[in-house]
Amino acid sequence: MAMDASYGDEFAVGCFISIKTALGDEFEGQIISFDRLSNMLVLQEGSKTGPRRNIRLLQANYIKEFTILGQAEDPLDLKKCYLDLASLQAREEAAIRQAEMEAERIGVGVTSDAQRIFDALSKTLPVHWDKTVIMVMSEVRVCSPYLPENVTGGTPAANDRVKKVVMHIDTRI
Amino acid sequence: MSLQQVVAPRSSSNGFGRRRVEREMGTRLDSKPQSGKPNTISFTNAGALNGGEVGGSESLSRDRLIYLTTCLIGHRVEVQVKNGTIFSGIFHATGAEKDFGVILKMARLIKDGSFRGQKSLFDSTSKPPSKTLIIPAKELVQIIAKGVPLSGDGLANGLQLEKRQDIMIDTLISQSHYVEVERELERWTPDEDDPQLPELENIFDGTWNRNWDQFETNEALFGVKSTFDEELYTTKLEKGPQMRDLEKEASRIAREIEGEETQDLHLAEERGFSFHEDFDIDEETRFSSVFRGLDDSGYEESEEMTFGSRNTEGFGGSSGSVISRSFSDVARGKSNDGAQVSSSSSSMDDTQSSQSNASKDLYRSSSSDHTKQLTSDSVSKSLSALNGESRLSENQFRERHGGKGYPTESAEWKTLLVGEEAHTSKSEDLQSSVNMKKAVSDKGGLSSSATAFAPSSVSSKGHENTILGESSDSTGSGKLSGATQAVNSRGRPGSSTSSTSECVGAPSASAGLGLSPSSSMGSLSSEKSSLNPNAKEFKLNPNAKSFTPSQTTLRPPSPVSEGSFYFPANMSAVPHMHGVPVGIGIAPSFGHQPVIYNPQATPMQAPQAYVQPNGPLYGQQMILGHPRQVLYMPNYPPEMPYKGREF
Repeated sequence: MAMDASYGDEFAVGCFISIKTALGDEFEGQIISFDRLSNMLVLQEGSKTGPRRNIRLLQANYIKEFTILGQAEDPLDLKKCYLDLASLQAREEAAIRQAEMEAERIGVGVTSDAQRIFDALSKTLPVHWDKTVIMVMSEVRVCSPYLPENVTGGTPAANDRVKKVVMHIDTRI
Repeated sequence: MSLQQVVAPRSSSNGFGRRRVEREMGTRLDSKPQSGKPNTISFTNAGALNGGEVGGSESLSRDRLIYLTTCLIGHRVEVQVKNGTIFSGIFHATGAEKDFGVILKMARLIKDGSFRGQKSLFDSTSKPPSKTLIIPAKELVQIIAKGVPLSGDGLANGLQLEKRQDIMIDTLISQSHYVEVERELERWTPDEDDPQLPELENIFDGTWNRNWDQFETNEALFGVKSTFDEELYTTKLEKGPQMRDLEKEASRIAREIEGEETQDLHLAEERGFSFHEDFDIDEETRFSSVFRGLDDSGYEESEEMTFGSRNTEGFGGSSGSVISRSFSDVARGKSNDGAQVSSSSSSMDDTQSSQSNASKDLYRSSSSDHTKQLTSDSVSKSLSALNGESRLSENQFRERHGGKGYPTESAEWKTLLVGEEAHTSKSEDLQSSVNMKKAVSDKGGLSSSATAFAPSSVSSKGHENTILGESSDSTGSGKLSGATQAVNSRGRPGSSTSSTSECVGAPSASAGLGLSPSSSMGSLSSEKSSLNPNAKEFKLNPNAKSFTPSQTTLRPPSPVSEGSFYFPANMSAVPHMHGVPVGIGIAPSFGHQPVIYNPQATPMQAPQAYVQPNGPLYGQQMILGHPRQVLYMPNYPPEMPYKGREF
């Protein structure tokens, strides 16, 4: 397909279209919008289930081939389209905060195994990362390779408890 | 990102120029993610310079694009770039007009499309997410977002859900971010091939005949020995010769009970009776909901109970006992007018029964209370206190008089109150006020005072319940023999107008209360917190006149500990409450100035005989500045049993 052509004629709003991309993705959807200027095609995927939809923005340059499946009406109800910038910003802030919290739990430079053990420990114990060492209750350390014998520090009681948990991580009943 | 960017149209040559610019910017971004310096500004600016609306239709499409991308802000998206790498992050911004770059926050690499990344990610070490990730338009292939609220209401809903997600960590952990909207519930219908009640009969029939013993199995499999012994948990059955007969008898009784006809829907269902009413009851009512029947009698019982008990307790244990008795006594002859009567009666009782101290204290406390807080609370409290007091005094009074012809104290509250006071069994006297008044008049010489007390009260029934007037009280007490103390006590309430009135009201209220549950009275006399089974029911006297205290100089109340005064609010609602809120004309300014209540000639149509001590809790309505003298009546539904309420 021509890379610079404007597909406006074919990409009418409301069209059902099946697309194959240059990267190998295949999908179907309904066209919500196509912007010739930026060559961005906005598709709505899945069945319309309420106000929440699955959206895909595709750079039309990467369309390898497409097929028009049918024509329907505009999936966007223009009367209902309004935006609240403040709430959007609030949502973004909340999402960022959430992501930061989650990021804290992910160790930097640790194997996924280590991460798995960290996650398992965090279900019942307060844990945080100290470089590549798992710190439990700020006193017990678990270093690589995160086996029961690698549990050090802390009071004997705490140490035992962490040892037990690490032992049972993979043999949970 | 500015939503409305009107840019001058550009020719294609400019477009090329733009691309060049963006290409330069794009080079700053490697294929690998990095916490890049946010080039937002320059990027956007460039975009802004370059962007432009070419035509009407394109502006429309551009508008749509802008709308849709704005909807994405704050949403978690996946972005695929040219080499197949996919990043996941929070959508922050897009490039301006022409070239569609994307900025993500807290972005992570999900799938590495480059050749190097083809090996399993398991071995690679994780990296922290990039705070900001800029993907230039040149690299951008597609953006995928799931569960994006597109329309306005969806947006609002989404935000609410997001907010909730912030707090609901649990659901965040266990679920995805997509929250299911409520779905339409459908009634379950069995499939065609489902046999009706398959094997239900077989499964539960003859459980003791089955060939499988769980304990055996358990022991065999796990070596667990059962140590269950039935007799550890229940009475040992005497298996004697009478066993059979006893069993027969038991099953006979059981059959009898189970075969009983019942009005209860659920019981009928259990016993197999088809409910004789219409079958239009929905399933919930039929099988699930709890049957709540309005049992008036029970309610009254409870009311009386609580009332009685509360009064008892409220009295601070001073009287401790025979509260009901005393109450009736008070009502009877304590020569108190109506509501005030209760207080006055109590005061009278005090004087008479030489329990003046107690009552005085009570009054004092009540008055001081009143001064402290001119609220219905205090009113009620004082009332209850006074009630207790009055009761106590009444008791003593009775005792003093050697129980002269007082029938079961509780027995006839009304008669007692009414008759005693005025030696006339005026049933209507039940209203505390009225009764009290009668009592006052009874006292001889009190009639005048009674009159003074309650302009409307005294012999006239059907007076509105009024708050005891200090003046009247004092007057009344003065007239009473040995009423000096009574005067004092009366005066006490009067000292603080509001308090006085409250005091007055209280007794009347309590009188009324006590009256209504005759049973409670009896029980009160016998035990501390049980109802008097013999007490006559209180009947509201519609003719009771309200009491109007006259203004007098009132002594400042001496400080009394709160504890001694307040009753635990166990009073239940007066069963006879007509639900008409009777407001005490208490002026908002309480202080020490006497409050004058203008007595109304017209009797209250639905006078409430007592003041609910716990009124405030039940939203008593205070009619301020109400010209009529009415008894403060808390307005609450009669079904509200007032049990166990503590102040």
